[in-house]
Amino acid sequence: MHYRVKHITEYLYHGRVSHCYNMAHLTPRNTSRQRCINSNVDVLPKPSSQSYRVDYFDNTAYHFEIQKPHNKLVITSTSEVQTATQPGALDLHMGISCRDARHAMFQSRNADILMAREYLMDSPMVRASSELRDYAEALFEDEKPLMVAVKELTSKIYTEFEYSPASTTIATPVHEVMATRKGVCQDFAHLMIGCLRSLGYAARYVSGYIETLPPPGQEKLVGADATHAWVEVFSPGEGWFEYDPTNDCMAHEQHIVTGWGRDFYDVTPLCGVIYGGGENPVLSVSVDVRRLGDPAK
Amino acid sequence: MSQSPVSEDQVSQGQTSQSQSQSSRVPFEQLPQGGQQGQSMFTEHPDPLIYTGANGVLDEALFQDGQVRDHWGYLLNSLNELGCQNFRDRQAKALRILRDDGATYNIYGENSNPSHIWGLDMVPMVLDSVEWGKVEAGLVERAELFNLLLRDLYGPRDLIRQGVIPPEALFCHRGFLRPCQGVHLPGHHDLILHSTDLARNQNGDFVVLGDRTQSPSGAGYALENRSVMSRVFPSLFRDSHVHRLSVFFQRLRAKLTSLAPDQNQPRIAVLTPGAHNETYFEHAYLANHLGFNLVQSDDLVVRNGYLWMKSLDGLTRVDVLFRRVDDWFCDPVELRGDSRLGVASLLEVVRAGNLVIANPLGSGVLENPVFLRYLPEIARTLLGRDLRLPTVDTYWCGDSGDLAYVLDNLPNLVVKPVFRGQNSRSVYGPELDDAALNQLRVQIQENPTQFVAQAVVEAAHAPAFTGRELSARPVILRSFAVATETSYTVMPGGLTRMGLGERSFTIASQAGSQSKDTWVLASEPERAPSDDVMDEPVSREVDLISLPSRVVENLFWMGRYAERAEASLRILRVAFMMLNGDEVISPLTQHHLLQAVSNITVTPAQPLEGQNPEDALQSIIQNGAVLRSISGNLNAMLNCADETKELLSSDTFRVINDIRDALSILDDNFALSLSSAPEEALDPLVTALMALAGLIQESMIRGFGWRFMDTGRRLERCYQIAMAIDSLLVPAVPEADQSKLGEALLLSLEALISYRRRYRARVDVQASLDLVMMDNTNPRSLMYQVERLGEHIRALPKAATHMHELPSDQRQLLECETALKLSTLARLNAAEGERRLHLEERMQTICDQMLGLSEVITDRYFNHREDSQQLVLSNWEGM
Repeated sequence: MHYRVKHITEYLYHGRVSHCYNMAHLTPRNTSRQRCINSNVDVLPKPSSQSYRVDYFDNTAYHFEIQKPHNKLVITSTSEVQTATQPGALDLHMGISCRDARHAMFQSRNADILMAREYLMDSPMVRASSELRDYAEALFEDEKPLMVAVKELTSKIYTEFEYSPASTTIATPVHEVMATRKGVCQDFAHLMIGCLRSLGYAARYVSGYIETLPPPGQEKLVGADATHAWVEVFSPGEGWFEYDPTNDCMAHEQHIVTGWGRDFYDVTPLCGVIYGGGENPVLSVSVDVRRLGDPAK
Repeated sequence: MSQSPVSEDQVSQGQTSQSQSQSSRVPFEQLPQGGQQGQSMFTEHPDPLIYTGANGVLDEALFQDGQVRDHWGYLLNSLNELGCQNFRDRQAKALRILRDDGATYNIYGENSNPSHIWGLDMVPMVLDSVEWGKVEAGLVERAELFNLLLRDLYGPRDLIRQGVIPPEALFCHRGFLRPCQGVHLPGHHDLILHSTDLARNQNGDFVVLGDRTQSPSGAGYALENRSVMSRVFPSLFRDSHVHRLSVFFQRLRAKLTSLAPDQNQPRIAVLTPGAHNETYFEHAYLANHLGFNLVQSDDLVVRNGYLWMKSLDGLTRVDVLFRRVDDWFCDPVELRGDSRLGVASLLEVVRAGNLVIANPLGSGVLENPVFLRYLPEIARTLLGRDLRLPTVDTYWCGDSGDLAYVLDNLPNLVVKPVFRGQNSRSVYGPELDDAALNQLRVQIQENPTQFVAQAVVEAAHAPAFTGRELSARPVILRSFAVATETSYTVMPGGLTRMGLGERSFTIASQAGSQSKDTWVLASEPERAPSDDVMDEPVSREVDLISLPSRVVENLFWMGRYAERAEASLRILRVAFMMLNGDEVISPLTQHHLLQAVSNITVTPAQPLEGQNPEDALQSIIQNGAVLRSISGNLNAMLNCADETKELLSSDTFRVINDIRDALSILDDNFALSLSSAPEEALDPLVTALMALAGLIQESMIRGFGWRFMDTGRRLERCYQIAMAIDSLLVPAVPEADQSKLGEALLLSLEALISYRRRYRARVDVQASLDLVMMDNTNPRSLMYQVERLGEHIRALPKAATHMHELPSDQRQLLECETALKLSTLARLNAAEGERRLHLEERMQTICDQMLGLSEVITDRYFNHREDSQQLVLSNWEGM
């Protein structure tokens, strides 16, 4: 599928910001099922210096510095991407069993598996725990194919947790999400990653967008789409597979990836330091994902 | 260094030095009485210093049978000839020097008095050059290995891919900073400075206990130790042929300079967390020694992709940062978001190639002791051979085999957290009881990847002076290696630290361990350093203007606080003298005197209960606020001095120490001397403040630093004189009282003698005003201050402008000066009712003008810290 994504982030400050330094992850990356055709980030007021780089996770990071006093910051990211469905995601029952997967994670000397172990460990916002292990353990029977178990975990979270945009701030600890059984996409992603890691499987956080389709017969509203987050799990010998616990599915063509990391911390869309600005800046975000037709056809 | 001929030299040299010291060569300028040379000296010296070592532990200086090792012979003989009392005198002298140099080490968690004099034991640690040659080669090899390790960890990570290092060892370590991936320095080396802690085990071999790789501390203290030793024991030092340290520092400067992206007059700065950091002395000392600027977070700003220092004349580019701030505090955008010690966007400036930081950000990961467990394999993979210098046996609890061993052998191991934070400490198994051991086992099992254990190395002992005798203390050595173009240069020796007691395990400066100068004996006197490392004279003219604005601000306030404290002390002293004097003074005079004390010290006036002078005196002394006000100003002044340490001479520091001393006993002195002449308790402080003013006047270069300090001083003095006149001469009182109050004013301004010489009469208001207001030859008159201020203000850098309008600071001063010049004494003296209203108005205007001037200067020249905040609050947990 061919998309144009327009992602506008706007900060309104109550006090004047004299200067600021920011880092953004707003450019879609290339993956095994996605190609970024072009991308541009536009900032107002105009930055005095800016640069793009490929970061530790091979995501694109964009840095900018503004030296002009301002009360409003607007960042517009516009990208064109080509996406496809995940390869090899069709038959979940063919793959490695849970027991073999666990064994391979800890015993194999294969370079890919050794490097994937980075995603088995605690990260700034996700810690393994016995609570998370207990929550998911029953699904991961020794002989069951790992991908089947992961799919079941996706459904379990989808069924047992309530999607509730008002319920969490940007950084909700996973144990709190467990307690309230409520959250947004990034909370479910963190929760699922925590469960997988607690059981001995490597999992990472994927940040991006999802195309939402209007009800039949209605015009799609601009800005109605959303930033989204889901999970990638590592299957030894087979690679990484994307699952979306918020929508109870494997990620497909409508999932557009900006970047991945150990958790939200590694792919924060926008972070930085501002000087001045007063308290509680007002943040508004709008995302528009447009189909451009499929150039391959 | 070829080995066999040198070792022969060494033997013969050892013999020579022993025979020399037994004959004519006298190492000390003065020998103690009865200090006979010859075989009998061990027995006949009245006060000998003999070292016998400790039982059953390897000794640096002695063989097992008590014979002195060759390379220690000359030193131990010399100490013995010197004797205990003389040695104690030298130690006291050393302490004074350390104090005057401002050599301190701050112990965290001691809020009342965090700043300790750096602990130096005057018995050096001695190493012979043959052995040192081998250690040195091992240290160079190790530094090269750690450099390759650093490049791999932030590059391809082949060591992980190939299974040499388990992934958890790297990925679980909080020092592994993913934003630092791919940052490389120019040249072959990313690791510029490498340090190790070495101990000699009971087999006599040096083993490495650990590495310091992000901002190794101690090199500056080693240099200070050497400086003190060579001053206190000049001939002993000279005759011992000790390898110099200077080459190391020249190489360090040359390396840092060569890293600058812009080689045209590169500017290098030492980044310190600030005056409260434990090793702040060293930061200032190194900055001074190397000729670099000392900067803090607030002095720096990133603009247009470059790093700049905020200085008086605007922004000055910085090319290289020699940092003493830990990795994760350096950049709030990409590293620790709530850090106040770093500079926003610093890492991005580095990536753009516009700045080099040494050691590079992220290098703290090499301090992970888990790597020591895998070091043999790492060395074979990266170097293709085994390391010459052994590392202490290390076990990582993240490995199940190691974990089992550690849990079984805990009483014989030292347990360390893999990440060294401010509160993390090594735990010594042999010091724990069963309950503590069990607790430790649980702690390890809960989080095994976060702990390593190492075999306990019982370090060899060396002689140390413990006040009465030479005792044996365990010693460890911190080594320093700096990258050169092709390899590493190792400091000959390093910083030796010793345990608190015989056989004690803990050797850490935070625990109060003392240090030693380390002498690597050369086989022959060293030639002066060769030309290639000699310093080129560099013009520092540019630097005079490029002081960080924080520094000039502190100098300005140092001047103000010193003057403010002096004014308070003087008025208090005058009040005491008059109240205690033989002439009886009236209640009215008493009242105004007390009012003046209250105005100048900015404390509430105490109601006067009785009518006699004793009551008045009592009321001041019981008013604790007065003393608090004085000590508050002096402490503020001392803080400013700490912040500008690198600009003040050691003479200045001696005087500052006198102030610190006098201040600490002020309360006691004050209470004791109540009964008689309480004013004398204040004398030492007044004298010390005068000495400080004199020293600064006589020894500070007339650069902007001095101008700002003197501006602060003049401005404050002007304000205080106006305040004193306002308190003592504005009230119109009967003539006898008037004369007394005038006398008090003149006395407090040190002008009474001049007055008497000029007028030989009772003190009258008009003549007094002439002396303290108009007379520009009196250094304590208003006019004198205003004229000096004018000179300073005109000399400060100004923004270029085509307009002819006077800048606001000059206008403010001109108004003040003109008003003074246009005043007539008769009009000022005229009273309406109980007050001289015109005089009062004039003095208050001057006070306002001075405060206004201070604000203008602050706005124009000083650094305005703006509050920063994170755009998105990240709950960074350091992973």
